[in-house]
Amino acid sequence: MAWTQVPSLTPELRKQFAAIADLLIPAYKDFPKASDLGIETTLLDRVLTARPDLIEPLVRGLKSVLGHDPKASVEHLAKSDPPALDALFTVVPGGYYLNEGVRAQIGYPGLETLTNETPYAPPFYATDGSLDRVLARGPIYVPSPGSDAKGITDPFRLKSP
Amino acid sequence: MSNHNGTSASSDRVDVVIIGAGPAGSIAAHELSRQGLSVIGLEQGFNPDTSKYPRDNPEWELIAQKAFNSDPNIRDNPQDYPINNSESDIHPLMYAGVGGSTVIYNAQWAPLLPSDYRLRTLDGVADDWPISYEDVEPYLEEVEKLVGVSGVRGNPAYPPRKDFPMPPIPLGEATKKAIEGFDKLGWHWWPAAFGIASVPYNELKPCVRRGTCHSGCSEGAKSTADINLWPESIKRGAKLITGARVSEIEVDEHGRASGVVYIDRTGKTKRLKAKTVVVAANSIGTARLLLLSKSGRFPNGLANSSGLVGKRLMLHPYSGIIGSFEDNLQSWRGPFGNVLESYQFYETDQSRGFARGARWSIVPSGGPLSVSSVFGSKVFEIDDFDASWGKALHQTVERRLGRTLIVGILGEDLPLESNRVELDDTLTDSDGIPAPKIIYRIDENSRALLRYHEERAVEYLKAAGAVEIQVASQLKHAGWHILGTARMGDDPETSVVNQWGQSHDVPNLFLVGASTFVTSAGVNPTATLSALALRTARHIAEQRRNLEV
Repeated sequence: MAWTQVPSLTPELRKQFAAIADLLIPAYKDFPKASDLGIETTLLDRVLTARPDLIEPLVRGLKSVLGHDPKASVEHLAKSDPPALDALFTVVPGGYYLNEGVRAQIGYPGLETLTNETPYAPPFYATDGSLDRVLARGPIYVPSPGSDAKGITDPFRLKSP
Repeated sequence: MSNHNGTSASSDRVDVVIIGAGPAGSIAAHELSRQGLSVIGLEQGFNPDTSKYPRDNPEWELIAQKAFNSDPNIRDNPQDYPINNSESDIHPLMYAGVGGSTVIYNAQWAPLLPSDYRLRTLDGVADDWPISYEDVEPYLEEVEKLVGVSGVRGNPAYPPRKDFPMPPIPLGEATKKAIEGFDKLGWHWWPAAFGIASVPYNELKPCVRRGTCHSGCSEGAKSTADINLWPESIKRGAKLITGARVSEIEVDEHGRASGVVYIDRTGKTKRLKAKTVVVAANSIGTARLLLLSKSGRFPNGLANSSGLVGKRLMLHPYSGIIGSFEDNLQSWRGPFGNVLESYQFYETDQSRGFARGARWSIVPSGGPLSVSSVFGSKVFEIDDFDASWGKALHQTVERRLGRTLIVGILGEDLPLESNRVELDDTLTDSDGIPAPKIIYRIDENSRALLRYHEERAVEYLKAAGAVEIQVASQLKHAGWHILGTARMGDDPETSVVNQWGQSHDVPNLFLVGASTFVTSAGVNPTATLSALALRTARHIAEQRRNLEV
């Protein structure tokens, strides 16, 4: 997906964004902190290209906390501008988990395309006895009153464990 | 235009106008056009742009949270109408467009059970339907062939039935883990049926298990009306007008529906004359339109002599119980609706202290954004910052991604007249038409039902070997199934339509879709509402002389 740089995000606002992003996603074990990936540059622009609706609340929120300590910024936005905080909470992990290195670390291949070459072959649960065990327990439905179906005729037969 | 009998019809008066191109309206259009009637469908949304559906783009979870969000208030498209849900315990979810909410549904195909039609007789609660499982079943199997359904016959939770048109969707490691828990407890499970192709079927391609069913199926495997119904109907001469928002159903001097007024996307108001009007606008949109269609003859809204239009709104109460496992189950893989279903606790057991039960779906869990806020919303997040962010976020993704199954509990919601749809006093859609307001409260039966099922689900996940279990009780953003508001029945004083979906008050006005449901059952409604739409359409065609069609 092609992305474009968001002009309203000035270098100062991007710096503030990176500081908050590191609070939300710090380094952990072998995982990098958010700013190590350049969360405030390409990843940020990729997220906002996919979600242009987040640009306005994000820029608004960052402007209102510019120069503030990251924790104080989050606390301030929680009280004064929840939609801006929601935007931050969406954009930061949204960008972090776009990084290919992080995706490899967590073992996520992304959207897979799994074709089935033998669609008419019996599935595993039909051949390993799993389904047979369910069938052996018999019908559990209550038939229509007056019908000749052979379900459970006493609607209260199923008792709590 | 000419009708089935070769007699000419007025060129400005169509045989049938259908309002709404979701599954019910589209099936009705397909059947009526097949039988030679002239049909025009009016849909306020548009044909989905399938190129926008997630395919292989890494940003797909981000896009899905907005463009394919199931809440119209969040999606905020001009073709969506806003909903005032400030007085509702559950927020209704829907999609405006050809295919309706099936564009963003998980295609779970779970017909109502025999007992669902006889609550008063069997359990002494709510009401019996005027029809039975046996009345609906032939239409169900026919509609399954029409739309394309895959599955395994023999489910002991249902009466015996014929084969599904297609073999089941393949299932993987997550299913094996899910079976383990049920096997240990000796509880019912079954591989669920889906409105998804497992082999090439008419216009559908086989599922490739991307797990993005709820964001539009880019493979074209999920059965939606834009792919597999309207193209054929249009070939037969049916017409579909998109971007057409109906504001009123008009009546003539005899009290019969004479046509509709709609607003196109250029803002122009237009009139369409019809011999028969079919409303297929989901339970909220249908009630809204009938209430908007007031006249001197029908001062309380159309088809509302019973006073029940808008009332008995039902929204399945829903809890999600998350279980994480040590093994990698690759639980981002589809189908997203579930990897198994269970009806173990579906039927009433008086000793539990509540009526009816719930269907369980054992649901996979998506990608990294989904597992850190399951279902793409913040409902599973904990208010405590340190529990959600920092090191905790890494740990959550590490623990849950690919390793999580969710027991989705879909509870039956007993009908209450106090749960209802009204017209909002101030909120309007983009055309200035009053928006719906929802007044809906969960009742004590639903609370007790969810409590019991949550306890059983925890028991199940422990048996399956879950190392972490979290209960998310009674979710607010879970109104996927909108039911009732124009119930069917034999008595005009206590119902809006008869068993054919025909208005008691206006003989050439029909409703299709879940608005006519007498009770909610505890299952996903699309299978049954599709069968009922076919049944109603066939009745209209068969009764065309009596209906003056």
